[in-house]
Amino acid sequence: MQRAIAAGRLWLPAARSAALVDLQRAGGLAGPRLYSAATTDDADSHDDFKPKVKAAPSAGVDATIEKDISSHDVFIYMKGVPEAPMCGFSNMACAILNLYGVQYGSRNVLADPEVREGVKRFTAWPTVPQIFIKGEFVGGSDILHEMHQKGELKQALEGCAQQD
Amino acid sequence: MVTASEVEAALRSGLPASAVEVADIQGCGTSFEVRVVSEAFAGQGRLARHKAVQAAVKHLMPEIHALSIKATKTPEEEAAAAAAGA
Repeated sequence: MQRAIAAGRLWLPAARSAALVDLQRAGGLAGPRLYSAATTDDADSHDDFKPKVKAAPSAGVDATIEKDISSHDVFIYMKGVPEAPMCGFSNMACAILNLYGVQYGSRNVLADPEVREGVKRFTAWPTVPQIFIKGEFVGGSDILHEMHQKGELKQALEGCAQQD
Repeated sequence: MVTASEVEAALRSGLPASAVEVADIQGCGTSFEVRVVSEAFAGQGRLARHKAVQAAVKHLMPEIHALSIKATKTPEEEAAAAAAGA
């Protein structure tokens, strides 16, 4: 009996990794989508099983972004997480921030398609990563890198909370 | 697939850029590094300059996997950098 329960548990994915979400959306994985976010191509699903969006998605996402960037001195919208970036540009951005030892919040856009589109709309900037310092959009990894090379980033990060 | 010369042409006409360096990083037309000199950058901060570059190649972006903007300079800044041996 115990083994059956344990085995049953194995079949309930506790979380989808970002890579899986991406693969799913690209149609690269067969199998049930148990944790679909705001998917749009559910034409073959009965209404009862389609994800229900409560209000205009953008309003909710904008609020999320505002909260993110106002509650952190430094915030990055990236692919993957700081401990495991999933793109070279996100990796570089985190590496630079780590160099300065500042605390920063992050959100993985691969795990949240609404935020992925929402942040691009928010900043009118087409790519990720997107870095905010003191609530202001600073740019992508190229800009962050250039600021670092020119010594401007140190100034921009002055007063930001440090990692212990 | 996009060629480096297509990217260069887009930047020269779109910005307009007086000097453009485009490098195809992977060699397969999907990842490019660009350096751009344009008078249009005068008075513009980095964000505005990068947005202008992005706008110029926007029509190519569906096929470009990665665009790395290494430098955006005005002719004056470019000359100063060259003089300084940068």
